[in-house]
Amino acid sequence: MLNTLLMSLKIDQTYSLNAFIYNLRKLPVFKDLVTEDIYKSKRLKQIIRIIVNIYALLKTVLLHFIYFLAIYFLAYLINKNALSKTFVHIYFLFTIIGFFINNKLLNTSSKKYFSIIIFQMNAKKFLQSYLVSNLFKYLALNILSFFIFNYYLNLSLNTIIILILLPFFMRIIGEALNIIFYKKYSYIWLNNYFLYFTILISILLLSLLPIKNIFVNDTLLFITLLLSIILSPIFIIYLCNVQDYKLIYKKLNTKNMVMSKDTSLAYSRQQMVEVKNKDINISNKKLKNKKGYDLFNTIFFERHKEILLRSAKKYSLVLGIIYVILIILSFNNGTAVKTISSFFFKNLGCFILIMYLINRGAIVTQAMFFNCDHAMLRYNFYREPKVLLNLFKKRLTTLIKVNLLPVFVIILGNSILIFLTIGNNILMYLLIALYIIALSIFFSVHYLVMYYLLQPYNSEMQMKRPSYSLISIITYIVCFYATGISLSYLKISVLGIIFTVIYSVIALYLVNKYSCRTFKIN
Amino acid sequence: MQLEIINLSKSFGTKEVLKNIDFTFESGKIYGLIGRNGVGKTTFFNSLNEDIDIDSGYFYLEDEYGRNRLDIKDIGYVISTPVVPEFLTAKEFLEFFLEINKDKIINKDINYYFNLVKISKEDQNKLLRDFSHGMKNKMQILINIISNPKIILLDEPLTSLDIVVQEDMKKLFKDLKKDHIIIFSTHILELAMDLCDEIVILNHKKLEQIEKRNLNTKKYKDKIIATLKDEKNA
Repeated sequence: MLNTLLMSLKIDQTYSLNAFIYNLRKLPVFKDLVTEDIYKSKRLKQIIRIIVNIYALLKTVLLHFIYFLAIYFLAYLINKNALSKTFVHIYFLFTIIGFFINNKLLNTSSKKYFSIIIFQMNAKKFLQSYLVSNLFKYLALNILSFFIFNYYLNLSLNTIIILILLPFFMRIIGEALNIIFYKKYSYIWLNNYFLYFTILISILLLSLLPIKNIFVNDTLLFITLLLSIILSPIFIIYLCNVQDYKLIYKKLNTKNMVMSKDTSLAYSRQQMVEVKNKDINISNKKLKNKKGYDLFNTIFFERHKEILLRSAKKYSLVLGIIYVILIILSFNNGTAVKTISSFFFKNLGCFILIMYLINRGAIVTQAMFFNCDHAMLRYNFYREPKVLLNLFKKRLTTLIKVNLLPVFVIILGNSILIFLTIGNNILMYLLIALYIIALSIFFSVHYLVMYYLLQPYNSEMQMKRPSYSLISIITYIVCFYATGISLSYLKISVLGIIFTVIYSVIALYLVNKYSCRTFKIN
Repeated sequence: MQLEIINLSKSFGTKEVLKNIDFTFESGKIYGLIGRNGVGKTTFFNSLNEDIDIDSGYFYLEDEYGRNRLDIKDIGYVISTPVVPEFLTAKEFLEFFLEINKDKIINKDINYYFNLVKISKEDQNKLLRDFSHGMKNKMQILINIISNPKIILLDEPLTSLDIVVQEDMKKLFKDLKKDHIIIFSTHILELAMDLCDEIVILNHKKLEQIEKRNLNTKKYKDKIIATLKDEKNA
């Protein structure tokens, strides 16, 4: 087992090291500095290996500290008067969640696929070494974290020992139970969402008990640990006796996961924009009298109802509920009236963030690429300037229309709130409504133009353009800080509308001029 | 050596793909598995390789140790879309593979293997991520040959390789067939007829061997196409 563990660590290290060098070479300065020969230079790789290992170690320790910090923070929020007791309570319940959810043996990963299927390692030895190394890794991390955090927690040594050992033994039992369940029912129980969420929510609710000054006591902790220690040998024997790890692992269908989805990020992107089965058939009525790219565009948007119309409806519903609550609050509540009216006079910048959050542009452009352009851009007729611009116009119109539904709810809600808290002010209704529409159009234009000018994906659907990510991040930061803008409704509305008009004109001009060159697969 | 398939059935929902298949493959022959698109060739391979659950069926391997249930360790499966660890160089990949399987492998000379599939020194130090589809495929075939399984399943393996390597691979498969059962799926009839000793057609959820007896190449080819087209006089 030790040999398997060492081998697997060696492969892991080489893999991360090469990935690090590969990503480093993508940065502008390093591209010329670090040549491809580096992959065969053992000495240079040795130096980088040290850096990569230190980074990996720091990352693991830091993430564990963040886990402790999160529990500490939650304990502070739930009951700051009995912080230590609350911490122990939450830690205990999170350990139980880990008992159910942590599934090191059965979760699928490309690392396991390569080790077991491609490198043909002994599956049993590999998975056992993987589990054992993980158990000891977390044991060490817990010892270290308690060593540091106990400075603030002041727990007794006995309690700390129990808390450190508890996850170690419980996880052994949890892993075994997961395998027993899988062998009996042929699926991983985590995939049964009803069961999963029921357990998760129940335990999470229990972790709130310290609000009522109810805590897990030392006796319960001790009994749980004692039981885990007594029971774990039985489960260790069970885990050692399972012979068909390779078969179980093959059945988990890891090949498909690794095959078509190079990175989990690309995979999740594809999952997000997957067409729902019920949207595949489109009623003839909707396609009647449509031809050419008009038909093409209609089919695309009809097939993506889930991420377009339905989600726009969901957003509208949530916004509707929020507005109804605010409207109810505005009756006979002086503080609410005051707060809401001052919001409309001072904080309209918030709508920039709100409109940013509800705009579907980012995900729609992803769907456009994954489910349509990714294939179509391989055909020359599709890349003709006339076709590109024609389709761009149609897409923009549809995108704006789709985003208008929540806009309508916001305008209506705003107008009622203004009427109730400020009074009848037609100029205010009108300007704020136009401002909201302008923002919605702005984000639709922004995402689509960015997509056409900086098409960021390659044929494997991986993000290839740092500039696209950079602009996305900048957009988010700007929108976030825009919440702090404190301008009068008159100024912000007029400025917002003028900005949108100028931005749209420039952006459309750029698309017109450059998209034929930029809109291609990287 | 014989691979015996008894009563293999597999459906996806209501769609039956393989139905009560009984068939025996023998060593010393390369079997060309032919079938129309979507007929279930990959499903057949996945069933043998236990990548998917089957509805019914048994697989037996009869060799010098007697007749035993087929063990997945005895199968090497070259899939049509090669999957390799992208962030390892070809050399590292092969070094790790040889190291892990050192007990099973007699020849541990890495250069011998690279020469076998014509991968140059320069390419050996490239990341597999930067390899073309054909090059990745070479690596995939290579490790399946090195690990020396009794049964080799090849799903469209040669189409992405250049002509020179294709010829080398064909020769290699011909050398391997004596001690292996090789099943080779392809859409290229000429390739199947050139390389394979037997043509097996997957049609109507069943495997059917096409007898060549007394037929010249043209007539044999016509017979295969007619069977695929479901013509009655086939």
